[in-house]
Amino acid sequence: MSLIDRFGEQLERGRDIEAAPALVVVDDIAKIFDVSAPWLNRVLERKPRSLLRAVDGVSFEIPQGQTLALVGESGCGKSTVARMLVGLYAPSRGRVLYNGTDIASMGSGSGRAMRSQLQMIFQDPYASLNPRWKVLDIIAEPIRVHKLRQGQAAITARVEELLGQVGLAAADAQKYPHQFSGGQRQRLSIARALASEPRFLVCDEPTSALDVSVQAQVLNLMREIQKRESLTYLFISHNLAVVHHVSDQVGVMYLGRIVELAPKRTLFAMPRHPYTRMLLDAIPDMQMTGKARTPVAGEVPNPLNPPTGCTFHPRCPYANERCRSERPALMMLADGAQVACHAIEEGRA
Amino acid sequence: MNSIQAAQAASSAPLLEVRNLVVEFPTRRGVLRALDDVSFTISPGEVLGVVGESGAGKSLTGASIIGLLEPPGRIASGQILLNGERIDHLDPARMRRIRGKEIGAIFQDPLTSLNPLYTVGRQLIETIQTHLDLTATQARARAVELLASTGIPAPEARIDHYPHQFSGGMRQRVVIALALAAQPKLIVADEPTTALDVSIQAQIIALLKTLCREHGTAVMLVTHDMGVIAETADRVAVMYAGRVAEIGPVADVIHRPKHPYTVGLMGSIPAVGSTKDRLAQIDGAMPRLGAIPQGCAFNPRCPMAFDECRSRRPDLMPSGQSRVACWLHEDALTQGSAA
Repeated sequence: MSLIDRFGEQLERGRDIEAAPALVVVDDIAKIFDVSAPWLNRVLERKPRSLLRAVDGVSFEIPQGQTLALVGESGCGKSTVARMLVGLYAPSRGRVLYNGTDIASMGSGSGRAMRSQLQMIFQDPYASLNPRWKVLDIIAEPIRVHKLRQGQAAITARVEELLGQVGLAAADAQKYPHQFSGGQRQRLSIARALASEPRFLVCDEPTSALDVSVQAQVLNLMREIQKRESLTYLFISHNLAVVHHVSDQVGVMYLGRIVELAPKRTLFAMPRHPYTRMLLDAIPDMQMTGKARTPVAGEVPNPLNPPTGCTFHPRCPYANERCRSERPALMMLADGAQVACHAIEEGRA
Repeated sequence: MNSIQAAQAASSAPLLEVRNLVVEFPTRRGVLRALDDVSFTISPGEVLGVVGESGAGKSLTGASIIGLLEPPGRIASGQILLNGERIDHLDPARMRRIRGKEIGAIFQDPLTSLNPLYTVGRQLIETIQTHLDLTATQARARAVELLASTGIPAPEARIDHYPHQFSGGMRQRVVIALALAAQPKLIVADEPTTALDVSIQAQIIALLKTLCREHGTAVMLVTHDMGVIAETADRVAVMYAGRVAEIGPVADVIHRPKHPYTVGLMGSIPAVGSTKDRLAQIDGAMPRLGAIPQGCAFNPRCPMAFDECRSRRPDLMPSGQSRVACWLHEDALTQGSAA
């Protein structure tokens, strides 16, 4: 029932922001992994089936040319959402619409061309490039697969142009990935992602493996490219400062659900959900105002056996009986923020 | 014992002194100098933060101090003094007695610093009995006490668990308990929070701070996270290409950085609340060990480099409360202000 409610709310919201049409619409997606013991053990040892709800009912929209960032700690399901958005995982429930088309239908035929418009940049630039391929072949692969250029000369020219766009030299096309530093490799990943002329980029912790000064280079580059090509980004990160720098909208995830979704300014100026406040408090204070950080006790619970009701309740200072039994749904507040919290709804927090 | 008396005799003396440390790696293509003339001191009870990018030599400095330099790396020259006594040329057996007793270590990955086959209690008791003269029962009681002091719930039960039964944050607490087991005077913590989630990171930093203040333990905190340094350290050393670029009180280095590299590094950190569209960026990358430029190692990336920077290497020069290895600050003292 609450599901239908939320769907109705979604439609209404869709009408509200007609001005900036959403390029990507994620509608109540879920991913459930079956992590049960093998069949024989289940039969002999009477072990039950166990299901891991990595993502459990996530909905959002990203308008064309904007960046939505998802933040959360390890195991909150943010990377699983990223993978479902580019079709690496099929959602167990719900659907992902890209430009009005369900990406599940993009497997073959006419859908394939559309799929080239979705690309992904991964976290580890050491693992995401084939060490035995030259840069030329790595970046040319999507061009060849999607037949975007004909003939070797045209392909090479395009690769060199892409290398230029990410701040590398044309001569780098003849090198192997091991000849590049971490930051340069991430530039190569970006060049490869751009090769298929995408409109939507999913970036899964693209700078987490990099040093801060290199991170600044890559973040600046990604922003330049976004402006020039008017790309739409889904940006996954655990670093709120980075998220503050890159995003237009922020979704905070906890144990497979979005607990708060708000425009960047609103979220950072007025964090509502207790978990969001905790995350913001956990950012080291560079101004050294002497304000003591209040580390919130506890850890992310085991997702195989999540707490009942609101999954944050064991760590939440405002939790009461209702929080322990009833799962809160996202509700829309007056300033456009959405929060899933009973305490906020009742004015307790 | 000897060293403790020496420390008491000269209470103002630094606990740890690193003098002109040079660490080299012989390779087929010649000798690579990974640390070049690194000098700093740590006073008793002080937290010195060491920051820098990957490859700047910060972990290598820590490894040299605890005597865990991986061969073929070797200390080519310079001295490391603990309580006024050299510890850089001790044989492995004597160094092993210092490590744990005088200098504790915390590493980045709590899973690899614990033995997966032994319960955490056994590892703690072994460490305690190696360094302190206690019976098995006393050692176990002390281990439970240590686990409790690091905030592990139900320590009497948890002591008999194996490392895999702990979460990442809890494991790092066990490692901190291990490092503190013999009440060392100095802890070398190499990226202690890098592998942890932000909320857990805040917990661990708070814990490390409290425990070290209670025990009067000095900490050398190696990290690439400026935020952690800002909250924890008393002084900071910024390393670049195997050298100390700037060292000084934490507020000065973060808010009034003097070395152009530190200025760039601070500008490149995204901050919540900033409205900058672009982050300041230092173009280029840190040079490889085999190709460190002549003069100041930072000169090819430095927006303010001049002739002298390209020919002569700057030493650490006093500038305000800090010391900076930059020719811009050569006559800062006489002029009264830095460029």
